[in-house]
Amino acid sequence: MKNNFKKWFKPSWPYCIGAILLALIQALTLMVTKEPFGITSAFSYWANECAKWLGIQVAGDPLLDIAKSPIVLIESVSLRNLGIIVGALLAVLLAEQFRLKKIKSKKQLIGAVLGGLFMGYGSSIAFGCNIGAFFSGIASLSLSGWVFGLFLFLGALIGGKIILHFFL
Amino acid sequence: MTEFTNNQKNKFPNQFLTGLLLFIILAIIGFMLFLTEAIIAFYWFSGIFFGYVIQRSRFCFVAAFRDPSLTGSTALARGVLITLGLSSIFFTLIKYSSFMTSGFIPGQTYIQPIGFNTITGGLLFGIGMVIAGGCASGMLMRIGEGFQIHLITLIFFFIGTLLGNTHLNWWKSHLIFLQEGVFLPDYFGWFWGLCLQLILIGLLYLFALRWEDKQQL
Repeated sequence: MKNNFKKWFKPSWPYCIGAILLALIQALTLMVTKEPFGITSAFSYWANECAKWLGIQVAGDPLLDIAKSPIVLIESVSLRNLGIIVGALLAVLLAEQFRLKKIKSKKQLIGAVLGGLFMGYGSSIAFGCNIGAFFSGIASLSLSGWVFGLFLFLGALIGGKIILHFFL
Repeated sequence: MTEFTNNQKNKFPNQFLTGLLLFIILAIIGFMLFLTEAIIAFYWFSGIFFGYVIQRSRFCFVAAFRDPSLTGSTALARGVLITLGLSSIFFTLIKYSSFMTSGFIPGQTYIQPIGFNTITGGLLFGIGMVIAGGCASGMLMRIGEGFQIHLITLIFFFIGTLLGNTHLNWWKSHLIFLQEGVFLPDYFGWFWGLCLQLILIGLLYLFALRWEDKQQL
């Protein structure tokens, strides 16, 4: 009995199920919070807080663009981001697949550093990431989502070439 | 990519029980949030649900954009197209009914201006997510899965965000073509705006199917 219950959490789901559930959570999010799903608006705030905490002066005003969002919203989005982390942790634990994965190599480290910097800069100037600017943008029938998506694709092409030449 | 194909022993024993315990803790936190403010509890649970879903279904935006050119597989790209199509339909219904009943359209802050900032941002984000092996949501998911490398990615994501923010005013004052953004229904009406988008998504889906067949010949 107990083992049957356990087995329930083991298999991976087909992409199609993931796609349907993500669309449903987007719809529910828009209905309840009046905003689509987004991630990086909270990053901007926390990056700024970290910098302040380290005593680094930050030029510009990161809150300028999220000024529309009151602090409560930023805290809610941060909470949701934390939820994504613990939700994934919950999923791997129940499937008994959790392992701490150490950093493998210098190349992987360089990839993480540069990739993180690029994504941070890109999401900052384009007002969003693969979720906020792309997924939610297109779902909102916004042309900006399509333009961002097209260049995301071209960027991924370039990234693939970079990986083949430098990281493999 | 997270592949758990190996049969090696788990380093952490009693994972299932730990998982159940975690579930209870998360539920209690959610309940306490609910007592403070219901909507905050919604943010909490929707995040957990989102993380759970992308982990279980291995829903990876990086692979969706990268694999068609790298390996020829379009399985995830098609998954993304399905979720885009469905959520466009849901969003349009929600926006339209809200507009008809109250004159207010929710979520319009996501209709962003378009300019070189969108183009440069998209390119940089696309390159970055491929070489880091994780996008914004994927990175958070993999931190939960136990990948230490993605904590590094997150730190540098923050630093990149700070750099971007310092230049944001310059980008905004120089390089935005369409300050107001384009909401498709403003130009084509609600029905045709949605149809146009669904047709585009459908064509991309067919193209993705064709692409995969060609690669496997």
